[in-house]
Amino acid sequence: MKWLRFFRCTREDEEVSREIAAYIEIETDQNIARGMNPEEARFAALRKLGSTRRIREEVHQMNSLGFLETLWQDLKYAVRMLRKAPGFTAVAVLTLALGIGANTAIFSIVNAVFLRSLPFPHANRIFVVRRAGNQFGGASISMPIYLAWQRDASMFEHLGLIRWRLDASLAGTGASEHIHSALVSSEFLPAVGVQAAIGRNFRTDEDRPGAERVVIISDDLWRNRFGGDPNIVGREITLEGEGYTIVGILPRGLEIPIPAIRGAQILFPLQIPATSQDPSNSGMLAIGLLKQGASPAQAAAALTPALAQLRAQFPSMFMVNEKAELTPLRELLRDWAGRAPLLLFGAAGLVLLIACANVANLSLARSTTRQREIAIRVAIGAGRRRIARQLLTESILLALLGGLLGVLAGYTTFHLVLGLIPADADMPHVGAYQIDGTVLGFSLVLSLATGILFGFAPAIGASRVDLNAALQETGPRAGSGHRARLRQALAISEIAISVVLLIGAALALESFASLVHVQPGFDASSVMTAEFSLPSKQYDTPEKPIAFIDEGIRRLAALPSAESAAMIDTLPLREGSDDLFSIEGRPENPKEVLGAEIREVSPGLFHTLRIPLVRGRGFSDADTANSPPVLIINQTMARAYWPNGDALGQHIWVGKPMGPKYTEPSAREIVGIVSDFHETSLSQPAWPTMFRPASQSERAGWGYFLVRSERPGAISAAAVRGALLKLEPANPPTEIGSMEQAVTASLVDWRFRAILLSIFGGLALFIATIGVYGVISYSVAQRSHEIGIRMALGAERRDVLGLVLGVGARLTLVGVALGICGTLALTRLMSGLLYGIKEVQSAMLYGVKATDPVTFTATSLLLLAVALLASYVPARRAMRVDPMVALRYE
Amino acid sequence: MPKRGTQPLEGELLQGTLDMLILQTLLLGPAHGHTIAYAIERRSDDVLQVEHGSLYPALHRLEARGWISSFWGTSENNRKARYYRLTKFGRSQLTAQTGRWDQLVRAINRILQPVSE
Repeated sequence: MKWLRFFRCTREDEEVSREIAAYIEIETDQNIARGMNPEEARFAALRKLGSTRRIREEVHQMNSLGFLETLWQDLKYAVRMLRKAPGFTAVAVLTLALGIGANTAIFSIVNAVFLRSLPFPHANRIFVVRRAGNQFGGASISMPIYLAWQRDASMFEHLGLIRWRLDASLAGTGASEHIHSALVSSEFLPAVGVQAAIGRNFRTDEDRPGAERVVIISDDLWRNRFGGDPNIVGREITLEGEGYTIVGILPRGLEIPIPAIRGAQILFPLQIPATSQDPSNSGMLAIGLLKQGASPAQAAAALTPALAQLRAQFPSMFMVNEKAELTPLRELLRDWAGRAPLLLFGAAGLVLLIACANVANLSLARSTTRQREIAIRVAIGAGRRRIARQLLTESILLALLGGLLGVLAGYTTFHLVLGLIPADADMPHVGAYQIDGTVLGFSLVLSLATGILFGFAPAIGASRVDLNAALQETGPRAGSGHRARLRQALAISEIAISVVLLIGAALALESFASLVHVQPGFDASSVMTAEFSLPSKQYDTPEKPIAFIDEGIRRLAALPSAESAAMIDTLPLREGSDDLFSIEGRPENPKEVLGAEIREVSPGLFHTLRIPLVRGRGFSDADTANSPPVLIINQTMARAYWPNGDALGQHIWVGKPMGPKYTEPSAREIVGIVSDFHETSLSQPAWPTMFRPASQSERAGWGYFLVRSERPGAISAAAVRGALLKLEPANPPTEIGSMEQAVTASLVDWRFRAILLSIFGGLALFIATIGVYGVISYSVAQRSHEIGIRMALGAERRDVLGLVLGVGARLTLVGVALGICGTLALTRLMSGLLYGIKEVQSAMLYGVKATDPVTFTATSLLLLAVALLASYVPARRAMRVDPMVALRYE
Repeated sequence: MPKRGTQPLEGELLQGTLDMLILQTLLLGPAHGHTIAYAIERRSDDVLQVEHGSLYPALHRLEARGWISSFWGTSENNRKARYYRLTKFGRSQLTAQTGRWDQLVRAINRILQPVSE
């Protein structure tokens, strides 16, 4: 209402004028009636009313918002002033845009991971139910646990179960497509409050073994693969060689931010048997919707007794004090995302801080040259508060412009940043990051705060202008020593913060570089990989996949210039499976269950990857399903479990601690020990690992072929595909690449951090350089008189150069010293207070200490060099000062 | 530059009183500014002289508060004039203000009486 009136003020004023005119006419009429002549009557009426202008002004002021009016004036003035100084405006807006843009981009990630509400109704009642206190099974659960919990889940509205699943091959015309899929129990979608947009959710009888084969597909798949056919529900599609009926389509844009099923295009019912004797944890996650008013602690207490009962049944699979634990889904997602988003957010914040310091610096320099203008305004009656407010308005306008540009730049580079986020990184929600209202609001608030932050010092400084001095003095030399010191302090803090960021970036880069140079323990060069996955329907006996693998290896090895070929179920440097075992002749100790990574391999694997055999023998084609079961272990496993004895020739029972059903039919003899290599990650040491011949295994329906060529690049991906396609036309290999790519891909998290931190470090360096340049230029301009005198008195140009560079060097050295102190304090704070020191350092740093002296020294030297370069340009200007001109200037 | 907010207490008191008098006048029916001013003067037997210049700001203030509303009408002499009318809200405000005024007058009288005795 009042706003409207503000814009309507001209019309209002007209109304008042008309009203006053009406008054005067009425009064004049009456005066005439009293006997005055018309002219006299009108004059008396006017006199009676007083100044009409004053009345109008009074009414006007009453009706408009004085604040807004002033703001509008200030804004108009600010725009004029900024346009008069295009250079300053451009540099300031650009600097701020860099800072705000970086923050917007990173905040959108922080927002998605930490702030934005989950895309589920009742998100605060959705909990992940896990087991706590079991170091072997970790937090995931097994089918018997789920069945027991389902029985005790009276506090839940729904308790669903989900499970990670391999890609499903969807048959169509031509070769089949591999589509990301997941398994969910019928209660999962109700638990997270998702209802199929078309069709229906799974019925409770559809997740039983032997139920009809049904699937729910994503909106994406429906649109892209089935052309958005509205009659899709009820149609049968062929998945894994079997017919499935589509019963529902998920809502459009639904992103389920749970790693196991994120991005799944097809949901299969997860079959829940009536009873289960399978105590192994196969990556299942229980997700429940708590009833209104039920407390998580109560629910957990109700689920805990089941674990104790199961322990009686499977003694080695459950620990004594195991408990059920309810974790809010949101909290779990945060844990999965790790600290990286916060670290990057902190770094982006520091960049913005530097940008602020820099613009404050520029504004201070400008306000010095503007002193006369300000002094004149004060002299003709502007209040000091009014001046300060005017300057602050200018700062905020600058910041808003910078923010606008920053958001635009952020928006365009946003996908670039997203592209850096590894698709299978620990961060959930990938793809759900977006610039939404919260992010825009954040940028707006950030811009305003920035404007106030960097505008404050110049505004206060300028409003304290000494009128007499400013009006009398000529030129820009009126600046006080106080202001010069403030500017130096700002430049110093820019350098100090840059040091912190650059050291962080350098440490991340060094970690990445040392990881790149880590010897993985195998030779990845010249090795191509191809993933395969066989439909269990056609490969229904253990012999069939084994025959497929043998034939695949044979065909690959027969490729021109192929040297050898092999198969492994999980590529090195990716998470594989582990298993429990017991050693024959060694009593089982319930407190210490033995476990190790387990890989299924073909005989040629160690040769193909050049993994040296340390002792014993490798696998051979003679190791078949009918020959004695054998096993090869790595050195770490030999050291860990046979510290004093010889592992070779020992027999172990794989799966025995899990109960008779999971125990292999006979013990395996350890026939060989291979050299250690990094199985799961380059940053982790080798784990105890056992290798089992694929020919002696029951589940070998999927895995990777590896083929080594005589020279790098001699075998193309097309050649590999061609060889395997002929073998199994309906199921082409899914992922063909080189082993080197796989090694690089395993470092993608590290690369992401290193790249982003380097970008921030680079930005910081760039902005700080501008800052140093600005301060030095200013000091040269200010001292040109003094320099002129010095030169007139016989100073050489070299001396002048030294004088100016000395100022730059002093600033930089102080800044660097402060920055190093700050970095040390920050490392201490980060590692000591916030997180466990080892956890952070092993997750963020590799092969370099957080206080690495070489990094610190190199960073300091870099900054010093750049700062001297930035001082050199104004120094040259100082050298060219003509003493006569400088002296006459007075 | 005239400084705001430093008017003497007398002015403040008068201003509030003027509002109340305007409202009271409008209780009898809609009127334009000129009529209101003269009505107040006549009804107070010319004791209260309304400063006509301050009348219009007061009217606009009251309108902004929603206590009175205005419309353009025709005066007795067939001239266009802006008429003011008491709103429902204004009516309740008048009651409240009159009550407070009575209280104030009684309080002041109580203080003044012993002195005059």
